[in-house]
Amino acid sequence: MTAIGTSVRKADGEVLLTGRGRFVDDYVLPGMMHAAIVRSDVAHARITGIDTSEAERAPGVELVLTGERAARHSGPIPHFIDPAARGGRRAEVRCLAVDKVVHAGQAVAAVVARTRREAEAAAGLVRVGYERLPHVLDADAALRPDAPRLYDDWPDNVILHNHYGTGDVDAALETADLVVTETIRIGRSTTAPMEPRGYLASWDRFDESLTVHGSVQNPHQLRWMLARSLGLDETRIRVVTARVGGSFGLKMQGHPEETLICLLSRLTGAPVKWIEDRRECFLSGAREQVHRVTVGAMRDGRIVAVRDRIVANAGAVTAQPGWAMPNMSATTLASGYLVPNVEAELHVVATNKPPLNAARGFGKDGAHFVMERVVDLVARGLGADPARVRRVNFVPPDRFPFRTATGLNIDSGDFPGLLDKALKALDYDALRDRQRELRSLGRHLGIGLAFELTPESADGPGTFVSGFDVTTVRMNMSGGVTVLTGVTSPGGGNDTAIAQIVCDELGVPLSWIQVVQGDTDRCPSGFGNFSGRGMVVGGGSAALAARDVRAKIATVGARMLGVSPDEVEVTGGVVRVSGEPDRSVPVPDVAAAVLTRAFAVASEVEPVLEATRAFKPGNINHVPDERGRIQPYPTYSNCLHAAVVEVDADTGLTELVDFVMAHDCGVVINPALVEGQAHGAIVMGLGAALTEELVYDDEGRLLSDRFKSYLLPRAGDLPKVRLEHQVTPSPFTMYGNKGAGEAGVGGAQAAVANAIEDALAPFGVTVTQVPLPAPVVLDLIERARSK
Amino acid sequence: MITQNFAYHAPTDLEGVVAALAGHDAVIVGGGTMVVPDLTHGRTSADVVVDLSRAGLSGITRAGDTVVVGATTTYTRLLRDGGEQVPPLRRIAGGITGGPQIRNRGTVGGSACYANPSSEVPAVLVALGAELRLVSAAGVREVAAADFFTGAFTTARRPDEVLAALVLPGPAGPFGYHKLKLAESSWPIATAACVRLPGGGLRLALGGVAATPLPVHLESDDPGHVRAEVGRVLTEPWSDVLADGDYRRRVAPVAALRAVRELRATEESRGIREPRSAQEGEPR
Repeated sequence: MTAIGTSVRKADGEVLLTGRGRFVDDYVLPGMMHAAIVRSDVAHARITGIDTSEAERAPGVELVLTGERAARHSGPIPHFIDPAARGGRRAEVRCLAVDKVVHAGQAVAAVVARTRREAEAAAGLVRVGYERLPHVLDADAALRPDAPRLYDDWPDNVILHNHYGTGDVDAALETADLVVTETIRIGRSTTAPMEPRGYLASWDRFDESLTVHGSVQNPHQLRWMLARSLGLDETRIRVVTARVGGSFGLKMQGHPEETLICLLSRLTGAPVKWIEDRRECFLSGAREQVHRVTVGAMRDGRIVAVRDRIVANAGAVTAQPGWAMPNMSATTLASGYLVPNVEAELHVVATNKPPLNAARGFGKDGAHFVMERVVDLVARGLGADPARVRRVNFVPPDRFPFRTATGLNIDSGDFPGLLDKALKALDYDALRDRQRELRSLGRHLGIGLAFELTPESADGPGTFVSGFDVTTVRMNMSGGVTVLTGVTSPGGGNDTAIAQIVCDELGVPLSWIQVVQGDTDRCPSGFGNFSGRGMVVGGGSAALAARDVRAKIATVGARMLGVSPDEVEVTGGVVRVSGEPDRSVPVPDVAAAVLTRAFAVASEVEPVLEATRAFKPGNINHVPDERGRIQPYPTYSNCLHAAVVEVDADTGLTELVDFVMAHDCGVVINPALVEGQAHGAIVMGLGAALTEELVYDDEGRLLSDRFKSYLLPRAGDLPKVRLEHQVTPSPFTMYGNKGAGEAGVGGAQAAVANAIEDALAPFGVTVTQVPLPAPVVLDLIERARSK
Repeated sequence: MITQNFAYHAPTDLEGVVAALAGHDAVIVGGGTMVVPDLTHGRTSADVVVDLSRAGLSGITRAGDTVVVGATTTYTRLLRDGGEQVPPLRRIAGGITGGPQIRNRGTVGGSACYANPSSEVPAVLVALGAELRLVSAAGVREVAAADFFTGAFTTARRPDEVLAALVLPGPAGPFGYHKLKLAESSWPIATAACVRLPGGGLRLALGGVAATPLPVHLESDDPGHVRAEVGRVLTEPWSDVLADGDYRRRVAPVAALRAVRELRATEESRGIREPRSAQEGEPR
């Protein structure tokens, strides 16, 4: 083993740095046209009519499509995760609104023109008549019996109502020494990838086939979905996921534009491109939840019960899987703590805000934020150190696999070890001294800790959330290796890490290996990227396939060397007799022998230098246990965040002074790539903790639609983020590796919120929301002062 | 993408600009950092666009006891070339965090004419007592900065006029400045700029907190006085998606006190003023 565990440079680093990375917008096809979308500027209305005549006469316009006509040529968009399959309610989602709009920003018509400019200009000439209906933007308000209803055939606005957890919370609260109740709000933020969504659809009218280039995460699932919504045979569709410039869940499919752009190509007979603009990209929301939480703890710090009533604002119904995120907010409680009694009640509520879209953390971030706030509230209530309260409640290292109250079967971990590493990196005791010293000078330094347990590589029966994946390893006659895998990369670099695995397992140099992802005509049917699965199942299946090919190379190479297969090793592109470095044969010679001497030296093997394998990790169990709990994740990465902040009590501004994350994703395939992902996730959490929030006016129209009003952190806002690694192998994956890339958001949010509360302890402030921009923090201070 | 059609003029001298403006309600583009996004998003419509980039209006020159800053002088130029003659403007140029694209394109004159309540330039011009030189076919006039900004995104400039230059009194004395914003990418939420007047008082201007820059005349550095005067002038605080009026009302005095404190510290370090006596207290 040589490549695994090393920080091999990204395979495409040079291409990206020299501007040769080809993204969807870089594809130009002959006769290509451009689409622009007319969007609703009202949150809830019946469409009384659409006048397209002026737009149709505008220069360069080929087609103006309304929802009514689109519905004659396309069906409903199938759900990525069907709410009905989870006991919830389904609403029909179309590529263009037909009779009614349910959120501002909803697509109501589309224009195809020769240029994007002409398409946008003509889109501005489409006149849509609306009969306004009462709208509701707040999830609590949407739950009231008299609330406006989004969907005429629903009795209310509830997409899903469910209960989770086991134990007797009431009894435990009765006996608890401390009971704390708080309402905690998580604002609506978004993913904001550098590259927005985009699709280039090309309908071939001669052989009636469709080719789609798109910035998407799940090409095979998109192919299936398009076959359904467009009424096509799946074999007639090819989806190619161009290089993706970040997606973070946003580009899981189910978006109306996927079907829409394909339909526009089919109707015009021309290739049609649509690239989302930044304002459109900001329509996608994530995370918005309210938690009404009660926690009970004993004097020694043990948390004995957590009750959480969660109301999640899903916005309008979408076929995208974002609505399902709050499920994970409920099931991830009480995180990695030994809380025996947990009760979560969840309402996922439709409102007239734009839809919730999948976003890194996938709802687990909500559980982490709330749970870590709760632990600090307990520590405060008991007058205990927050580090100690965490230590008392952690599932101890000798108790794994550990079944939590909500049913998660945590594979492995050493949570106190993470805490030790983080506290040491902070120099915790000295920092507490420094805090006291600064307080005496009127300065407000705060330290916040947050643990995060990230269930990864999920499997949802009957959905596209699949817990396995498939890889083909194919060697050509020159010994070169093409790896075709069903997992895709949103830009994080799992292609590089998969090549490292093949390098070691097959025994050929990295430079001989090319990884192909995201092309439904070339790659085996897989599931793309989500849920930290790329290395767990993409890496695992690549290892199995590489081993199969290696076995043939070893068998034939041994015969060429005149020894038995168990006497050879394959390494560095050479088959050699173990212990006798001079007796070797190059792998390309062996490959050529397999393919040209199939009836001679290679007669012992089937002459196919190719293997396709699936990897199914252990620990997934969909059979409900005696308490009705299922276990959909093989492995749980975990980390401990520590934020140090200084709050300016006159302005409410928070300065991030230091940030440490002690991280355990099991065996690391490529440390540099893991750290890159961790940095990104942490910063996403820091932004959502401090300044990122989607803000709407009273009419449901988005106000924060630019990077000047939706404030992402910039380098100057951030301290150097410091990472500490701990390796606790998972018993259920190929190498003991766990997912990486998803962990970081909720923990970073919680650590910052906890640090701000800690900083402002002299005022007695209680932090009950994120984000915490300066105006909110100053309000907290003033409210505490006036008490 | 800009979808409107308009006539585009890029005159090569001031006369050409004046001629292009005559008889039109033209949109004038300096560096384009504000106007071009507005045209892209359809927030501004135009029949005629006059681009100043080739009109020779960039540069910083001494003229008697004033410094003349050409209207299209970019932030980058202020940082590199002649900006030492106008330290306050150089200071804000250095604090612009939009990256090289914004500093290379954005102009001081453009910021003044766009009159965004959240921009830094307007209040600094008011604090410095700058005059804005407006040129039209009818002639040249100079308008005091305090009179130039008439409302949010509106100024005293007539449609037929172009801002040719900013005229600043020189040489510049000590300057106090404070900018408060929510993050690197945020618009300023409150700014305060101040200079010492003969006789010991201060001319301070608040930016970001109201529709226009707010001049505040201060008799002294006394924190209570500063708070009181800021509170008196700030009657209608600006509100936007980043911060509401309440927040601006609360932090405006903080920004003012910090600017005054910085001015005082500069004066003390240069030996212009004696260190503050203990009785005066330290403003926070």
